Amino acid sequence: MTCLRRAELIFCLGLIVSASAEPIPEQIEFNRDVRPILSNTCFKCHGPDTEANQSKLRLDLRDLAIKPHVNKAGRTITGIVPGKPAESEVWMRLTSSDPVKIMPPPDALHQVTEQDREVIKRWIEQGAEYQPHWAYIKPKKVAPPAVEPTGFARNAIDQFIVRELEEQGITPHPEADRATLLRRVSLDLVGLPPTTDELDLFLADDRPDAYEHAVDRLLSSPHFGERMAVPWLDLVRFSDSVGFHGDQNQNIFPYRDYVIGAFNQNKPYDDFVREQLAGDLLPDATPEQIVATGFNRLNLMTREGGAQPKEYLAKSAADRVRAVSTTFMGSTVGCAECHDHKYDPFTTRDFYSLAAYFADVKQWGVYNDYKYTPNPELKGFNNSFPFPPEMDVENDYLKRRAIRLQQAQDERVERIVENILARPSERRRVIDWARDNADVLFESNGSWSVMEVVQATGDDLTVVTTQSDNFVRMENIPKADQKGNDKSGTLLVLAPASGTISAVRLEALPDLQGSGTVARDTFGSFAVSPQIELRRKGATESQKIELAGGYPDRDSWTYINAYLITSVESRWQTAPQFAREKHNVVYQLAAPIEIEAGDQLVVTLKTTNLARTRLYSSPLGVRRNWDDVVSGLSSAVATAVSSAGAILTDAQLRLLAAEYFKSTGATDATAYATALETLREIAACREGMAFTMITEAMEPLETRVLPRGNWQDESGEMVQPAPPSFIAKGLPVSAGRSSRLDLAEWIVSPENPLTARTQVNRMWNQFFGTGLSAVIDDLGLQGEYPSHPELLDWLAVEFVELDWDVKAMVRLIVSSATYRQQSTYREDLRNIDPDNRLLASHPSRRLGAEFVRDNALFAAGLLDPEIGGPSAKPYQPEGYYASLNFPKRQYQADLDERQYRRGVYTHWQRTFPHPMMANFDAPSREECTADRTVSNTPQQALTLLNDPTFVEAARALAERAMTEPSQTDFESRIEHAYRLVLARSPTQAEATGLKEFYFTQHANYSDEMEDAAKLAAVGLRPTNAVLDRVELAAWTQVARVLLNLNETLMRY
Amino acid sequence: MITPQDIKNLENHQRAWSRRTFLGKSAQAIGTLALGSIINPNLLGQQQPWRGVLDGPHFYPKAKRVVHLCMAGGPSHVDLFDPKPMLNRLHGQPFPESFTKGEQLAQLQGAELLARGAAVDFRRCGISGQMISNLLPHTQSIADDICVVRSMHTEQINHDPAHAFMNAGSINKGRPSMGSWLLYGLGSEAENLPGYVVLVSEGGGGAQPISARQWSAGFLPSKFQGVQFQSRGAPVHYVGNPDGVCQSTQRQIIDEVARLNNLQKEHSLDPEIETRVSQYELAFKMQTSVPELADLSEEPQSMLDLYGVKEAGDGSFAANCLLARRLLERGSRFVQLYHRGWDHHSKLDQNIQVASTLVDQASAALVKDLKQRGMLEDTLVIWGGEFGRTPMGQGTGRDHHINAFSVWMAGGGIRPGMTWGSTDDLGYRYLNDGQQVHVHDLHATMLACFGIDHKKLTYRYQGRDFRLTDVHGHVVNGIMT
Repeated sequence: MTCLRRAELIFCLGLIVSASAEPIPEQIEFNRDVRPILSNTCFKCHGPDTEANQSKLRLDLRDLAIKPHVNKAGRTITGIVPGKPAESEVWMRLTSSDPVKIMPPPDALHQVTEQDREVIKRWIEQGAEYQPHWAYIKPKKVAPPAVEPTGFARNAIDQFIVRELEEQGITPHPEADRATLLRRVSLDLVGLPPTTDELDLFLADDRPDAYEHAVDRLLSSPHFGERMAVPWLDLVRFSDSVGFHGDQNQNIFPYRDYVIGAFNQNKPYDDFVREQLAGDLLPDATPEQIVATGFNRLNLMTREGGAQPKEYLAKSAADRVRAVSTTFMGSTVGCAECHDHKYDPFTTRDFYSLAAYFADVKQWGVYNDYKYTPNPELKGFNNSFPFPPEMDVENDYLKRRAIRLQQAQDERVERIVENILARPSERRRVIDWARDNADVLFESNGSWSVMEVVQATGDDLTVVTTQSDNFVRMENIPKADQKGNDKSGTLLVLAPASGTISAVRLEALPDLQGSGTVARDTFGSFAVSPQIELRRKGATESQKIELAGGYPDRDSWTYINAYLITSVESRWQTAPQFAREKHNVVYQLAAPIEIEAGDQLVVTLKTTNLARTRLYSSPLGVRRNWDDVVSGLSSAVATAVSSAGAILTDAQLRLLAAEYFKSTGATDATAYATALETLREIAACREGMAFTMITEAMEPLETRVLPRGNWQDESGEMVQPAPPSFIAKGLPVSAGRSSRLDLAEWIVSPENPLTARTQVNRMWNQFFGTGLSAVIDDLGLQGEYPSHPELLDWLAVEFVELDWDVKAMVRLIVSSATYRQQSTYREDLRNIDPDNRLLASHPSRRLGAEFVRDNALFAAGLLDPEIGGPSAKPYQPEGYYASLNFPKRQYQADLDERQYRRGVYTHWQRTFPHPMMANFDAPSREECTADRTVSNTPQQALTLLNDPTFVEAARALAERAMTEPSQTDFESRIEHAYRLVLARSPTQAEATGLKEFYFTQHANYSDEMEDAAKLAAVGLRPTNAVLDRVELAAWTQVARVLLNLNETLMRY
Repeated sequence: MITPQDIKNLENHQRAWSRRTFLGKSAQAIGTLALGSIINPNLLGQQQPWRGVLDGPHFYPKAKRVVHLCMAGGPSHVDLFDPKPMLNRLHGQPFPESFTKGEQLAQLQGAELLARGAAVDFRRCGISGQMISNLLPHTQSIADDICVVRSMHTEQINHDPAHAFMNAGSINKGRPSMGSWLLYGLGSEAENLPGYVVLVSEGGGGAQPISARQWSAGFLPSKFQGVQFQSRGAPVHYVGNPDGVCQSTQRQIIDEVARLNNLQKEHSLDPEIETRVSQYELAFKMQTSVPELADLSEEPQSMLDLYGVKEAGDGSFAANCLLARRLLERGSRFVQLYHRGWDHHSKLDQNIQVASTLVDQASAALVKDLKQRGMLEDTLVIWGGEFGRTPMGQGTGRDHHINAFSVWMAGGGIRPGMTWGSTDDLGYRYLNDGQQVHVHDLHATMLACFGIDHKKLTYRYQGRDFRLTDVHGHVVNGIMT
């Protein structure tokens, strides 16, 4: 028995139990006692789905159940005769001995027990009163019950909980010890364990409300949003890839940042709902509100060849109905795609009416312009393109990253300048450089000089002519006139001015060929890949010049798997929306060159549609914008030239030294390569902008009921947007066609019985491991009658009354004495409350996948605390994406601090979720998921034992244990390690055994020094060089033990 | 052990439970004593390893394990198993509109539809006289061991949803795959190895992407999901020790973790700790048993030759077939092999030859090998794609086709040496003659081979009892022994 999902636990084990003889309540209550029986055993055929009903008997509605009717045999029968079981067909059928007549039929999956029959009998005797399903009536707030003044109860939650316990004669557990409590609430609210400082402060805080202070601190942490986002991202099926077929990437991470931000800002839940469903329809919608509408775009998408747009639009519509109904209503409307719901009163018409709200969401069934499924708006698209519509939005993470990178760059240059200034010979070189390049440096256009065209040759497809001012024009040779099959491109021999070249600029100009576009056709997008060689004067051979960057002056159409490529030296494709504008790209040379008179550059432009171009060179390097002018440079150069450097101010000298480095590398090739790489990374931050998929409203497509869900059947009736007809009937309906905003308003109306209940029930599930109604994705008839119905309702009303204040609800829950109890398993309640639904102790819970990762990295001191930004790529087994195609995938793990980002930022590939995440039960996010299973498998053990992430974390944790305590004895170190990982000290028994273990490991690695070195080398993070390798290896082993402990994975 | 009756009892218990608890009544009710044993950790221990939710079979079980040779991309039935002389005669002529009007097309949408005859000839094989294409000479040699089903049909015309449908009986994501259903129902007999293993072979080009969802447990607990063995590197993720850690030091880690976990258990009394400890033991055993499994060096050269393995561990379909046999021998319940080279939109004549050559010998060898070991009788072998290909040409190839395709099955309760079902004269559509086999029917039949009534293997999710066959499926009794 390895799986812990509560329902399954019961499921597997219930089996040993024989039917329990439960006393039948004196007063039968329909919702509590009868509905579960009828729903499970009768409604499938005698319920809302009339198509499945072979008789005329319906039992889901009282009016119909008590109405006499003529059955198939021509006999007049009445399903239920209130007060008279013996005259009720239901009772006769339930008790019949005739295998043809007995109900449920003997081969039905679900049968009734003797007890069920008695309940039904008594219910009929008592008048067979029905009640509306609890979840479909508006929640009412009853005053929290009075309880014995034991001092246990802290808030209303506790009063409801304690009342039930009192009735059972159960005493709740005492409060957990402080360290346990702080670790629990920290992991629950921010998904991270407490730091040792936080722990010490809390333990020393003798204020009576120290815990409340700690909760407030955690609620205001920016990591709160990250923790709260995880279950939400499961619901909305947030993912970095589209899911179908090629499972290409999609641009959507700003939506994830929106969710995190919303929880951090404590955005009221009703606004949160409105913005995601209809942010674009709000008056004066802000970019943030539009980013939120990415929610409507998280359905799976395809660009598979041969896919039918209508079919995929139908799939998306159904996908959305399932997601919207589960997420906001805790309902399974998805079941009504093909037939009326079998248990709940959702009709097929409801399903399609709900889908119709989203008929205005601009989208494509197939995201490509195939000849058999033309999408003219997607002309030119291929498997590398994004999935429009998108918006370009500011992203705080990228802004901060760009600033950090720029600061690092500036500091690097500053260090180099200091080095130069410290050495007279270097200073001399700076002056020489300024003098040698003075002419071009004086140019006010960004210091570029046109390279003279010596020779221009086309390939077999292209005719090339040189025009005045060194323009080169390329034209297609008509197919009939093509002589050969050489497609090598256009070859240009250029004569640059002498001096330093660190950058080459390609300018593309509009041309008549494409009626004024930069390409040879009217569409106006060209692609070019350059190759540059240097041919020294008189030489026959030329040498290749490596490029280390290519920066266009506007957004291009250069994509790799949906991501815009900002450095385009290998291939640059321009965007047709700028077809009529001049384009420039700055190519950065990996190693600058010095040109002497007579040297030539041989440039090959591989292109089939670039029309007219001119090339320039410049000594100014490490630059992206071709027209940037370095302020003060001209005068500094002038001074350098006129005085041979003698009267340069310090500032001028520094400026020249900096530009000299950026131009030549200043003999430090490594620093120069780093500078160019940093430049590339800064460019990738796109000045803090990011594309994200959004909802763009268009003229709504028509929506029909699809008979049996068949998208090819157009015989179904047309439907207009409308909410499920039976819920919240009194709600106003807007005139004209209802919009997504109307749907959002309907959802968040206080009259809606489902919205608040669904959300508070999920929050309860988050903090107690089980919802008050355990089936958190189905509050319908087949769901569970809540364990504490009045508490659930109280919380739901409270939520609305507090203006949907999420943090307030979280605070309320985690401040309750119920939450604060010890989690020690209650042997005494094993028989009475095996699932701990009465909550006479805190239910211990395993960490979710993301937090298993975060916890280890945080304890190790490796975790990158940054918030938001593009998804990150942690280590992943090689070849894991081998089965992906269109395009083929090469997984490149992040090599900088992004390697250590939190789990919530892990790149989410729907068809191949990261194995660590999958092993710890993260869903693939192809489908709305409200609850994760919690399993306990050998794969989890293998992950924690052998995944390089956890091995590296163990080593980093070992380093902390070895270096941070003031004492170096084993006891001080293990004490520190325990506090980092488990927020407590080790017991004597734990420490003693670990000490023995440590010495065994030390002995092992003393004999195997090479192994010690290998273990220390796992992961990116450099090892602390001063530490003894054997000692470090032994401590790494100790740390591995700690990171593999059950307690480490748990919230106790 | 669990019986369907127990499931019902359980549900009654659940209902009773909510009544009892929240009425605040009868904590001393008789039933509660029995219920108490539910989470007795000792009983939990007895569920380890998982032996399935079904106590006894619904029918007499013939199969104990299944190997699914998934020909991803969609092999052409009219070139491999379903000879159509009429189609050959019509080659190059317009395809009769009476067949295609109103029917769904993939890449042929809007194109002129022309008949395309078979690429090669067929031969009558074995005593049974089944017709099998000369592209598959080795399969021809096992004609008397296999049952060819020509009347397969599906509902999904694109690869991605068609794979989902073939594996899970639904295109909705989050549904369990058939292997997961089997593990859930029957557990696995494999000691220290996953009960559900997936291997993807390389070679041949034209590889369509596939998705881990095809072996996902969906809403079933994740312990039922398929474990993909990698063609290269560690066969199972994280199965190798970290650099610098040998097997004996790894053992010491596991022992120390167990010691500390047990100490913790004294304090927290958490019954889950016991499970955690046992999972570490199992993990450690897997670290040994997986490499041992993947090591083909103990297989004689004659065995490598039988399968056509050129180089052990080369990731080829042949090597994977041999690995599959080793897994089946060790008790894995469901082994699924993908070969991703069957999407022949163009250059069919060459490409189908390549794909056939890569899979034919090893597929046949697997059947022969299982047979000689006496394992074929309780091992179900299923060979086929997610759909078929159009009898209409698409340039030099064929498009996706859902109205007819062929699979073959062998062993495990399937009647050998027979052809089941037919298509019309042009191979366009299955004949509605009572022998048609929908994907749901295939699933129902597969479960029936294991003695399972497909209507009774259910799992409650979101308030509904789900099953592999949704609300459909008929057992094809005619192909069962």
